[in-house]
Amino acid sequence: MEQTVPAPLRDDSSASTRTKRKRRRIDWLPFWLILPTVLVLLAIQVYPVFYTLVLSVQERKPSGWVYVGLRNFERLFNASAVRESVGHTLIFLVGYVVLTLTLGFIIALLLNRKSRLSGAYITLLFIPWILADIIAGAVFRLLVLPDYGLFSGILQQPGIFGPNGLSVLTAPAPKPWFGEFPFPPSPALIYLILASVWRALPFVTILLLAALQTVSNEVIESSRIDGANALQTIRHITIPLILPTMVVALFSLTLGGMNGVGMVFALTAGGPGNSTEVLSYLLYSIGWSALDFGRAAALALMIAVVNLLLIAGTMRVTRLQQRSE
Amino acid sequence: MKARYVLIALLAILALTLGACAPAPAPAPQVVEKVVEKVVTQEVKVVETQVVEVEKVQTQVVEKIVEATPSPEAVPFVTWMQYDQGNVDPKSDERVGNQYLRDTMPQFNEAFAGKWVWENQFTPFDRAMAKIVAAVQAGADVPDLMDVQAAQINTYYNNGTFQDLTEWAKAQSWWSKMDESAIKLCSGPDGKLYCIPMALRPSTVFVWKDRFPDGFPTTPEQMLVEGERLKGEGKYAYTFFGSTAFDGNGAGRAVWQIVASFGGQYDDGNGKLKLNTPENVAAVTFLREMVQKGYVPDIAFAGGFQEEEAFKDSSAGAFPTGLFGYRYVNPLTAPDGTKYDLKNENDMFNAIKDGQVYLAPQVAPEGNKPGCGADASGFGIPVGAKNPEAAYDFINWILTPEQNPAFVIGPGAGFPADTEILQTEQFKTPFYEQAAKVVAASDCRMAFPTITDVTGASKAVMGAVYKLIKEDPIATELQKAADEFNSQL
Repeated sequence: MEQTVPAPLRDDSSASTRTKRKRRRIDWLPFWLILPTVLVLLAIQVYPVFYTLVLSVQERKPSGWVYVGLRNFERLFNASAVRESVGHTLIFLVGYVVLTLTLGFIIALLLNRKSRLSGAYITLLFIPWILADIIAGAVFRLLVLPDYGLFSGILQQPGIFGPNGLSVLTAPAPKPWFGEFPFPPSPALIYLILASVWRALPFVTILLLAALQTVSNEVIESSRIDGANALQTIRHITIPLILPTMVVALFSLTLGGMNGVGMVFALTAGGPGNSTEVLSYLLYSIGWSALDFGRAAALALMIAVVNLLLIAGTMRVTRLQQRSE
Repeated sequence: MKARYVLIALLAILALTLGACAPAPAPAPQVVEKVVEKVVTQEVKVVETQVVEVEKVQTQVVEKIVEATPSPEAVPFVTWMQYDQGNVDPKSDERVGNQYLRDTMPQFNEAFAGKWVWENQFTPFDRAMAKIVAAVQAGADVPDLMDVQAAQINTYYNNGTFQDLTEWAKAQSWWSKMDESAIKLCSGPDGKLYCIPMALRPSTVFVWKDRFPDGFPTTPEQMLVEGERLKGEGKYAYTFFGSTAFDGNGAGRAVWQIVASFGGQYDDGNGKLKLNTPENVAAVTFLREMVQKGYVPDIAFAGGFQEEEAFKDSSAGAFPTGLFGYRYVNPLTAPDGTKYDLKNENDMFNAIKDGQVYLAPQVAPEGNKPGCGADASGFGIPVGAKNPEAAYDFINWILTPEQNPAFVIGPGAGFPADTEILQTEQFKTPFYEQAAKVVAASDCRMAFPTITDVTGASKAVMGAVYKLIKEDPIATELQKAADEFNSQL
């Protein structure tokens, strides 16, 4: 026997469902609007990541691609070249970030004094930033070429830089002080740091100058009235106020230094020996010179993890900055 | 309704975007219509000294670059070469090959009118390998033919980049005339032929005659004596590719010559590195002594081919490198001040013709044959090439007696792989005669005959050699021993 529902009740129920549906009806238009962007992002951002994951567990053989599990990672962990390049990268990053931030902050403080020529100084200061890494590297290289470089006459003068002079691009690294860790660095690595600092200084200076200009004069003046000298004002007032920007600059420099390959490529090509072979250059070298795409993918993933941590740090600091505002 | 229109519009935009990502039609091939080379000879008579100076002025006038107009039925024959027919810069490192293409492309197009039209896509030598390997693996567009260095053939083999040409090559008329060693150089570890050799490129030593008035030394001991003498004059005995740049490329150059001279090897014959041998140790010890005693300029270790500078200005007396070095090492200033300033390959040819420079075998210990690196340039057909038939036609055409000498003397920069062509008049010059004697006196071998990761192996070898010859491991070890002992006192 068929069970029937009383008509009025049924009508009420369907009417209420329709209302609910109408209320819950999703407006698909925004999704369609962002679909092209999502597709492009999937193609150029997400797919390469998955492809890198796939490559990292494969190795190329004459017969084709072969699944090797974690062998590529194992080979990287066991390679002395990777261990050494981690050391070079750490030294490079510390030197590059500390020098750039310190010099950038000092120059920003000077420019913040609003002299008549501040605009001209800022324009001049910005020149290195518009040069490509490769150009800057090639120019710095030409300056110190042994025997033929512009400064080689001074650098290779016996007596000024040791008994035989200094050949920046070919002098080997001194004997390491701490086991295998490549410290002190080779002259070429120090020179690479200096060239990279020169290149990045404008960006950091402008960033810090912008932050300094947000610091209220009243606060500075109050501190002076309270008897703080210039150094105390910088230490206890200025730096805490621009700290979030400094941290963002720090992460930005670290990310740039970690992934940049152009300057190394043009200036030292990882040499002399492997004394300037940083991780990014090693990655390029394994991938595009040795054509070992599997191992390069594994190294790329390892570098990506470090990058992700840095990005997460930057985002957290940026959020803190926004909250404090 | 409105949403539907928006959706249609979005799909249209998406289709357009995807359409834009489709490969663009290949540009029409460019051919330089005419390049006029004028050599003007000026005689300047200086009355007082009765000396007649002859000044040669060489100018290159490029008249016009025009687009080739292929006949409608002609199919594009695409090549990737390290030369660029559109680059007319007389200072370009690759001017010889660039000029060769400008001369030869119209000839090929005429010979195969209505069938093929040659389109060359410039691919710099240091990016060519990565580009073709990636393109083949990705299933992207690949050329029908590519210039190949035999030293890289094992890497190509490992990546499945080139087609097996064995059967096809054996069926051709030129096969029986091919130099056996050239065929071996183009063969992969599986014995199959992956490139057709065009020019053999052995290594040699370029020598400034006046820097070695008693002749170039034949033994390492004599070389050390000469090194000391030259050092006393403020000069150097050798300059060579001593840096680790280009991923240890130097391992296959002068360092390999020396190692081979001492009877050493890198490759164990089974695809692995074998370095710690008495012969290799002796070779590296000799190199180390040369470097540590100051017989080699520092520029040798700067990379970027800057080691050539010391030979160009004759501050270094000898330069061990590939035979093809004549194309790149210019301008030259001889020890007596004579300048060879045409800034092209003729500088080296002229210096050799004048007796200022000569070619010599590498030094070798008593009883050993001088070492020499074997290499060849040739052509390969990538896997996935659209028109392999065009490549076959091209190879047969370029191996004809009418075409081959120009290629071998120009971009090939070596001896013809075709033994019959070696006997022709073009190869009876002082340069080729000297080079032939050097090769005959030497033991020319490949540095990495069975290793498939040639780049990785080169990097490992050159990294180790660099440390041993440039750094101070003996002092380091002595210091380490003393430090360890003293720390326990």
